[in-house]
Amino acid sequence: MKYRIDELMICRIAREVDESGVTVLGSFTPMAYASYMLAKLTHAPDAPLIGYNAIDMPPVELSLTGSEAAAYRGARAHWSFIDSTSTVHLGARGLVECVSPAQMDGTGAFNTSVIGPYEHPKVRLPGGTGSPEVVQNYEKVIAYFGTHTKRGLVEKVDFATGGRYPVSAEARQKRGLLVGPVWIITPLTVLIKDSDEEGFRIESLHPGVSVEEVVENTGFPLVVPEQIPETSVPTEIQLQLLREQIDPFGTSRFDFLAARERTKYIDDILEREWSRAEAMSDA
Amino acid sequence: MSSKGPNKLVPLDQLAELVPDGSLIGLGGAWLSNHPMAAVRQLVRDGVKDLHPAETMGSMDIDLLVGAGLVRGVTFGMVSLEAFGLAPHFRRAVQEGEIKITEMSGLALNFAFEAGARTLPYLPMPGLGLSEIPKRQPNWYAEINDPFTGADLLAVKALVPDVAIVHASRASARGDCQYDGPMAIDPEVARSSRKVVVTCEEIVSDDVIEGSPHMTKIPGFLVHAVIEAPFGAHPFTHVPRYGLDAWELRDYAAVAADPVAWPEYLQQIVDETEEEYRDRVLPRERRRVIENLARASRTLKAEEGNK
Repeated sequence: MKYRIDELMICRIAREVDESGVTVLGSFTPMAYASYMLAKLTHAPDAPLIGYNAIDMPPVELSLTGSEAAAYRGARAHWSFIDSTSTVHLGARGLVECVSPAQMDGTGAFNTSVIGPYEHPKVRLPGGTGSPEVVQNYEKVIAYFGTHTKRGLVEKVDFATGGRYPVSAEARQKRGLLVGPVWIITPLTVLIKDSDEEGFRIESLHPGVSVEEVVENTGFPLVVPEQIPETSVPTEIQLQLLREQIDPFGTSRFDFLAARERTKYIDDILEREWSRAEAMSDA
Repeated sequence: MSSKGPNKLVPLDQLAELVPDGSLIGLGGAWLSNHPMAAVRQLVRDGVKDLHPAETMGSMDIDLLVGAGLVRGVTFGMVSLEAFGLAPHFRRAVQEGEIKITEMSGLALNFAFEAGARTLPYLPMPGLGLSEIPKRQPNWYAEINDPFTGADLLAVKALVPDVAIVHASRASARGDCQYDGPMAIDPEVARSSRKVVVTCEEIVSDDVIEGSPHMTKIPGFLVHAVIEAPFGAHPFTHVPRYGLDAWELRDYAAVAADPVAWPEYLQQIVDETEEEYRDRVLPRERRRVIENLARASRTLKAEEGNK
């Protein structure tokens, strides 16, 4: 079956979710939500998932208006935010965290705060809420980008909202931190950093992508191994689950749209969601 | 309705008496969930000014107050309309240097509330790696050492809002607040604040509270005033009663970014009561759709063949 690049990325992220630790829905990272639901519907049905105040929530259909309501239905507990963040983020129980920053650099620092100087920004962005703590304390960190350009993958971030340090296994163990790498997943490639001595290296290339294309569009130096495998492509079952059950409205494609396309895209989703909810009144 | 203890019920239009100009206000809700919007709209109607909202995950609540010119500063972990874009007024006001911001990492801000709740001067937490936020906010973060092992830690200073404003599913006249769904960090914000004002979807008798005390997240002895405000989180969700009015949020994002259309939008809110707002924005059919949205999204199940 023909797949889209966002679907390939979703499946790659889903691979990192297993039943060994807790994964939390971060703030507005719809592609990551789709990955977590996919993992729970396939290889990791008992992976504990937290969304909002819903603890050990079931996998849910993604939508712009009602995913949260579905998360509370079938959750195993309701906890205040401070209970879940203290227990998971700071309790060495966090497994996978996805961030979707405006910028990231070769040190692993990411920026969700400002474009331009901090005091007089050109663009004030939303901020990172718990991401500085999460990125530092979880086992695995994944930053994903809807486009692979030097504007996102920069030489140096304008401001480090957060960033994992240390990264090396030994240094993390010594400080009692969970050991795991930082990945960057883009429409071209998967990059990985697992040592403080080295920058990101190319872990895999998506089908049809060359090393040169990745290097040319990355604002920081990359380690290029001699042999680079191809990223696995989605299976038919994965694509079916994503399109028919997990994300029938296509919310997870949001990160791949240009700003000018978004308004129309949202309008279309909302029209479909309205129609479905309206029909429930008639029933 | 029988009620034990003091009756703290007040009408929404007396909110300004509880929130003086210049207050540091701890706002409830998070994500696109359950921000205390009826109260925020009332603050706009009453023109309560020089406010300093503090919120781990703020949204249109903070943006509307900024857009009404009522905010001197914001303490936040995030201010976002999520799919509906950057918060237009917050963004503009920061870029133009109109408001003073204190950007904090989310857990640290939660701990600042928690320290305030415990009347501790600070709480310790692990370091933030490469984050530049602690250096940017020396009044709120300090590097300290574990007194037992000497290990590096961060201290986060206590935050004590003058007034907490939160929205509950139901409350008794003495202020016991129950939450069916998203409580965000409302309990901690309430526990940290000098004064607690609660809006709620409905007022209930003590019998209801006593029959389900496990649902009570903020007990009445913490609470100073209770205000009945159905659809008080609108356009945000209040699960399981209603889902997101994404249409209203989308329209807000557009009008807030439009300096020509904005004054009229704002004036409309100022000129109407909360009841008139509900009637205007939520006619019967729309109300039903918003309620249905809280039931429309499905939960899914793993099936054997999927692996």
